Amino acid sequence: MIRYDILICGIGGQGAISLGTILKLAAIHEGLTVVGAERRGGAQREGVVTSNVRYRGLEKGEPFDERKMAVSGLIPAAGADMMISMEPLEALRHVQYLNKNSIVIINDFPLIPVSVRIGDSDYPDREEIYSRIRQVTRHVHIHNIEELSKSRFNSLKQVNTLSLGIAYAVGNMPISEESLLATVKNQFPDFEKNRAAFELGMETGRGAAR
Amino acid sequence: MNPLALNESGKTILAMGNDAIVRGGLEAGLGYFSTYPGTPASEIGEGFAALKKQFPHIHTEFSVNEHVAAHGAQGASWANIRSMVTMKHVGMNVASEVLHFAAYSGVKAGFVVVIGSDPGATSSTSEQDDRWYSLHTHLPILEPATIQEAKDFTIRAFELSEQYNLPVILNAPSKLCHNIGSLTLGELPREVQEKGHFERNPTRYINLFGGSVANHRRALESIDVLEKDIPSLSLNKVVPASGKTGFISSSINYLYLMEALALLDILDAPVLKIGISYPLNVKEISEFAEGLDDIIVVEELEGFLEYQIKQLLYDTEIRTPVKGKQIFPRYGELDVDIIAGALSRELGKPLPEAVGTARDSAETLTRDIPPRQGSFCTGCPHRATLYSIVKATDRKVIFAGDIGCYTLSCLPPFSAFDWVTCMNCGVGIAQGMLQKIEGEKVIAYVGDSTFFHSGIPNVINAVQQNADLVLVILDNKWVAMTGHQPSPTTNVSIHGEKLDPVDIKGLLKSIGVKYIRSIDPFNIKGSIAAVRDALRQEGGVRVIIAEQECALQYARRIKINPPEYKVYYQIEEGRCQLCNECYVDLGCPAIRKDYNETGHFYYIEEAACLRCGSCRDLCPNGAIVRTEIKLHPGTARETEKVS
Repeated sequence: MIRYDILICGIGGQGAISLGTILKLAAIHEGLTVVGAERRGGAQREGVVTSNVRYRGLEKGEPFDERKMAVSGLIPAAGADMMISMEPLEALRHVQYLNKNSIVIINDFPLIPVSVRIGDSDYPDREEIYSRIRQVTRHVHIHNIEELSKSRFNSLKQVNTLSLGIAYAVGNMPISEESLLATVKNQFPDFEKNRAAFELGMETGRGAAR
Repeated sequence: MNPLALNESGKTILAMGNDAIVRGGLEAGLGYFSTYPGTPASEIGEGFAALKKQFPHIHTEFSVNEHVAAHGAQGASWANIRSMVTMKHVGMNVASEVLHFAAYSGVKAGFVVVIGSDPGATSSTSEQDDRWYSLHTHLPILEPATIQEAKDFTIRAFELSEQYNLPVILNAPSKLCHNIGSLTLGELPREVQEKGHFERNPTRYINLFGGSVANHRRALESIDVLEKDIPSLSLNKVVPASGKTGFISSSINYLYLMEALALLDILDAPVLKIGISYPLNVKEISEFAEGLDDIIVVEELEGFLEYQIKQLLYDTEIRTPVKGKQIFPRYGELDVDIIAGALSRELGKPLPEAVGTARDSAETLTRDIPPRQGSFCTGCPHRATLYSIVKATDRKVIFAGDIGCYTLSCLPPFSAFDWVTCMNCGVGIAQGMLQKIEGEKVIAYVGDSTFFHSGIPNVINAVQQNADLVLVILDNKWVAMTGHQPSPTTNVSIHGEKLDPVDIKGLLKSIGVKYIRSIDPFNIKGSIAAVRDALRQEGGVRVIIAEQECALQYARRIKINPPEYKVYYQIEEGRCQLCNECYVDLGCPAIRKDYNETGHFYYIEEAACLRCGSCRDLCPNGAIVRTEIKLHPGTARETEKVS
């Protein structure tokens, strides 16, 4: 049976929700079943946003079994095959969903919480954040995706497709590149730019796993 | 094309649980929809509003409150039009008066009440379990588990409502409302009934002279008939197995349970999935219980199923022990981990090692990381209003909080919020308290939508009782917190269409408020002066209306109709004294900190700034410069430079 769980996390307005939507639409394009709850209360208000993406499907000829196929909207502890975090601290905040095989993609671009701004706490050292996550899984891929988008496309609009490209290159998602790109084409304007971003993301992912 | 409008039976689309309920309504041929927006159910209303063009026969409204919304849907049902009312769980408290009569008087066309519940209260001030209401309203409850069931059960709810002459409740927790995934569409009706007709039915509709007692009896009889029919309705199902510990669950908890059982490698447990949680059928429950050593009931919040199951089994010969809330918490959300953990302890089955390790190590790894609390959006007028209130009072007043985006004023940097319970707890509690406290000033908050919801009677009472308080109406023209549904003060739609808003000032005058001032929140100096002046006045209710459109709506509006000039705000490093007024006390997220060789400095992130100008108005050092640039190529001019 096919099962693959992706947790996307970030801050309101960073695109975690739309990234989840692309990954879900691609699954439907692929003929898989998909579910996943979204935590969106914090959207626009510097709050934590998460999107659960849970793929399920039967292999050819496999009979349907309710006990295996029943799937809730939330990924359980240690259950994420992949985490895409749009922000370093948020990757650490959701570390309980990781196991030693989880693949983690982190956008190396910190956003400072209000509690740090007003001096109530400190933003942890980024290397410390990453080393803590590495205590759980060694498959951690860190890229400043905002910077990459700015430098290559002179805009932040490609962050989502870049992340998608990186994730696709380093993970084993049970969907085809064609399904992903068809979805990107339907969902985002300026397909050529986004295809270029997706390809750059794939290159980046394959190239440097820091 | 809105996928919810597709007339392609069998097609699978991506839909939210709330969307699935909308689609269920469409497939059931509903003709009337009303709601008071509330998370997690808000998107149902938005869904119908977005389908107005494709389904013009459906009346869709954002009502003033849940009581009005429920009455409206009852009215449409009595006119023989299928109707739906939706609300969040606490809305049920407001609608409950209407719904207590609904079973007595029955329905004509199907009448479905959708409740979006919020276990864990992530978007609410309470996590009450509304299912208890049905023990006295006698309204049947359907509890879908999946997105597909959210649609299919909605259609079933309409059918049952007509069949048993009762309004039917569909209870959807937030993790179903906001679950997004595959939904397979069914058929849309070929014909729709545009207009209905009211047929007199005094026996059922006039609850007078003993009529209510007869109607009470009829409601109970309807429920009894439904109860007997349950086994034939295929709303409940058994996942059979040979194990001696059986499980009963409903809603999304069923999915959590199945995942937890798989995680614990318990593959021989019989499971009864309840789709209709009120009433329960005694035969069905006792047949499932027979021969089992134990029954474990898995449900979120309170033990509603457990209570009924124990009661039903008491009247039978079956004495299988039933456990539920002995094992699982009666508060907060459930998930796979909580259920797996509790079952692991109860049944002595170990959790997989990876799960245990993940939970333990996560606790250590995240112990000291900073929390991320919410904040007002960039450019939010409430942020500016709160800044002015804090500056004018130095927090030396009592702050009567209320429900709306401004609840965020309880958080730093403002921390100007002393209570929040239900809608209109601000003025309501304050005006009573003020009769018994001395020497203290009170500022009460209320948003425009909350004021219209149930605030007006509270303000009338405060005026009549001469309560000595300052009421700040934070009028941002929208029901902003739940996703920008129109409020009675919305004066221009997002596309520029002029509406006919309620005149708050005129309304306040007519109920006897003598002191009414409007402020522009972005005029900080003026706002501080206004708050001070209102506090200085003696006695009676003084109202300040802080009027400025929600920043998110403003941002959308200028995207549709861009202004001719673009305004920029910048911090002049040479003038900035790093006094922190803008960075900490206003706390605008667009003002950022960075470091150079001499230390730290602040700057305004152009991409984030919404040009409200509050920071410039409050800067004591004149360090924030406003520049206006004509968007046509060519001239940039500095309009004002503070010296």
